[in-house]
Amino acid sequence: MLDVRDLSVSYGTIRAVRGISFTVGKGELVSLLGANGAGKSSTIKCIAGALKASGGTITLDGRDITAASPEQVVRAGLATVPETRDVFPDLTVSENLMLGAYIHRRDPAGNRENLDRLHTLFPRLAERAHQPAGTLSGGEQQMLVIARALMSRPGVLLLDEPSLGLAPAIVERIFEMIETLKKSGLTILLVEQNVNQALAVADRAYVMRLGAIVAAGTADEIRSTSDLSAHYLGG
Amino acid sequence: MKHSYLTALLLIAVIALIAVGSQLLGIRLYDRIATNLLISVVLVVGLQTFMGNSGLLSFSHIGFMGLGAYTSAVLTIPAQMKGMALPDLYAFMTVVEVSPLVAMVAAGLVAAVVAAVVSYPLMRLSDAAAVITSFALLVVLYTVMNNWSAFTNGPRTLFGLPKTTDMPIAAIVAAVVVVVALLFKESRTGKLLRASREDEVAAAALGANIPRLRWRAFILAAFIAGVGGALWGHFITSFAPKAFYLKETFLIITMLVIGGANTVTGAVAGTILVTFAYEGLRGTEGALNATSFGAGQVVGLTEIVLALAMIAVMILKPGGIFPNREIGHILIRARRKKETAP
Amino acid sequence: MAFTIQFVIDVLSLGGAYALMALGLVIIYGILRLVNFAYGELIMVAGYTMFLASGSGLPWIVMAVLAVAMAILFGILTDYIAFRPVRAKSVTAVLITSFAFSNLLQNAALLFISPRPRNVPLPAVFSQTVSIGGAITPVRNLITIAASIVLLAAVAFLMRRTTLGIAMRAAATNFTMARMLGVPANLIISSAFALSGFLAGVVGILWIGRIGTVVPGIGLEPLLVAFIATVIGGMRSLPGAVVGGFLLALIDTTLNYTLSQDLLKFRDAFTFSLVILILLWRPEGLIKGPASGQRT
Repeated sequence: MLDVRDLSVSYGTIRAVRGISFTVGKGELVSLLGANGAGKSSTIKCIAGALKASGGTITLDGRDITAASPEQVVRAGLATVPETRDVFPDLTVSENLMLGAYIHRRDPAGNRENLDRLHTLFPRLAERAHQPAGTLSGGEQQMLVIARALMSRPGVLLLDEPSLGLAPAIVERIFEMIETLKKSGLTILLVEQNVNQALAVADRAYVMRLGAIVAAGTADEIRSTSDLSAHYLGG
Repeated sequence: MKHSYLTALLLIAVIALIAVGSQLLGIRLYDRIATNLLISVVLVVGLQTFMGNSGLLSFSHIGFMGLGAYTSAVLTIPAQMKGMALPDLYAFMTVVEVSPLVAMVAAGLVAAVVAAVVSYPLMRLSDAAAVITSFALLVVLYTVMNNWSAFTNGPRTLFGLPKTTDMPIAAIVAAVVVVVALLFKESRTGKLLRASREDEVAAAALGANIPRLRWRAFILAAFIAGVGGALWGHFITSFAPKAFYLKETFLIITMLVIGGANTVTGAVAGTILVTFAYEGLRGTEGALNATSFGAGQVVGLTEIVLALAMIAVMILKPGGIFPNREIGHILIRARRKKETAP
Repeated sequence: MAFTIQFVIDVLSLGGAYALMALGLVIIYGILRLVNFAYGELIMVAGYTMFLASGSGLPWIVMAVLAVAMAILFGILTDYIAFRPVRAKSVTAVLITSFAFSNLLQNAALLFISPRPRNVPLPAVFSQTVSIGGAITPVRNLITIAASIVLLAAVAFLMRRTTLGIAMRAAATNFTMARMLGVPANLIISSAFALSGFLAGVVGILWIGRIGTVVPGIGLEPLLVAFIATVIGGMRSLPGAVVGGFLLALIDTTLNYTLSQDLLKFRDAFTFSLVILILLWRPEGLIKGPASGQRT
């Protein structure tokens, strides 16, 4: 479904991603693991169209989206939840969600249906519909950005560090929710530093270090690789 | 450091060439244009010391030039003429009359002191707040010049300044200012300031007090603007506050930006280029006015062309003609490349 | 009593005009982080359109609509000439191009029309006066108040109730994120410039209605007013710009009534010093805008 080939991303002379390749099949949950600065977020931003690739190709459902703008990428069916948890703080929760459905704004009935479904998944968001998003707690904001991304009815969802900076109980809830989404047939690319939890929900995983992929395999294979911590500690 | 000497040498040579060349041609008009050009070099290089090193846009530079021009005027207009030129001048000032050289230094100092007092708190602003405050500062300076009749004769033209600026003096001041700007650029303050432009956080981590560094650059720029104002005042001998407002601000910013704000070479090159373009276009306007009698005056054409040029430069070459290396540096590198090449 | 009414009407009509001017500037700055120096020239464009249309024999209201349309067109032109080509480069580059574009328009008016003031057609009602509670007031002040109320309400509706408005508010906090939800960047940018041009056009007609003539430099004062009002009201807050406009009108009107002739000449120096002081105290302006986001 999502196919990344020899992707490189550079910031000026610094190469953050050095020719990586990976695929995410339909309905699969693939995890991209690695320490800070491994190049995971740059990869995500590049797929989302927010960064220009300096080399390689990205295809979605056979369509080349390497040079697409962020707005084109969403229209192609790929939604992104960036690690910065960017809610629009001055907009209400329902306004945030409404913008998530921007590309379907001519289909209010479909959006309402979608919204109802998301409200059952995230009841907190229904309760706080008219509150400015900036007043939500960190966990609620994370749910809001995920729900907002789902309002675009994506085929593929990129989740960048959804557990970052959240309390363990909330992280638990977020991962439960990721499982639910996976069961609904959504294709997910999950970027995480939280290795154990990510591997628990993932089908397959890739490990990145210093801009390159250093290990790949099923979740079990990766888990049983003894030098996983070495990748993290830079050994 | 070696290339800075070469840059200074080359730029001074250019200034000398303009001075001597226009003298050899012996045409009064060229003498006037060349002197004007050299005064512009003073102003634009002065602006470069602040803008080039701090990376901030400054709209108030011309206001400090005005301060300098008026300071020098008040100090040098002969006592017997003061009654006519500045009827409202405070009595104790009417007897003051100093030499133009002293007045020029005083002009620089007054501009520098005013800049030092008003600008210190402004220097911690960045982005839009910095731009609007520097614009606001220009408006404040202009309003004060326009209305403080005692010193400026209000919005009316002030006349009676002794004509003491000639080509050699303008050339000497321009040369000195170029050297000062290069020295400042290579000084610790200049270097830290330029580092802060690239990365504010890193420079602050090195212990650089950025607002303070900017403040120093701003004071130096104001001093040079004040000197330039005095120089200009004694060249033109009569002027009104509207000579120190938006049109002139636009002109010096155009000169600096087209040449390249980051380098002194750029400031000098931009001034020369824009002056030639300006005078050429003015000539064309004059010729058009002479031929199309009665059909209305051709005005504004020059500014239109300059504005288009400025937009084009920002689109095609946002750093200007000399975006980051001084001429000396460029030449030495070119030579080294030739040597290392087989 | 008559004096109070007079004072209130003065403040409200001046404040309404100021608020609209400020709003047009803040819309661009809030979303695009561009201090649009060419904003005043949009007002000039509206004025000259009225002047050029005056010989056509069209009804006044058609001329007014035409003037607003031209202001919108030039607003969008600002985007294509001064903003879009340098958007990705640097903040300074964008400032310089907008400054250059402002000069370009002014000098084009100078060259192609005239440096001298040109009369702008105004309906008779603009020069009539009415008496309200003993205070004699020009009708145009009441028109200004009514127009500003209608427009401010319309802008508020646009920004709060329509998808485009909400998307613009979202883009003001985080342009990239808005794009990642499918909001097209170009649509937002063009809409912002068009809305800014629209406000400038209407304000231009009201403003020129006070003077009756248009000159190439007419845009400077509204630009300065908009600067001060936005600084007072918060550089990125739309409600702040409106509050700033009315506050500035209150300050100006009060100074007009209280300062002696000698000091009145320095009014601009006072107000601009006030601006500098406010910015020093709160660089974001008095009223805090939406959470800051990055430029695109």
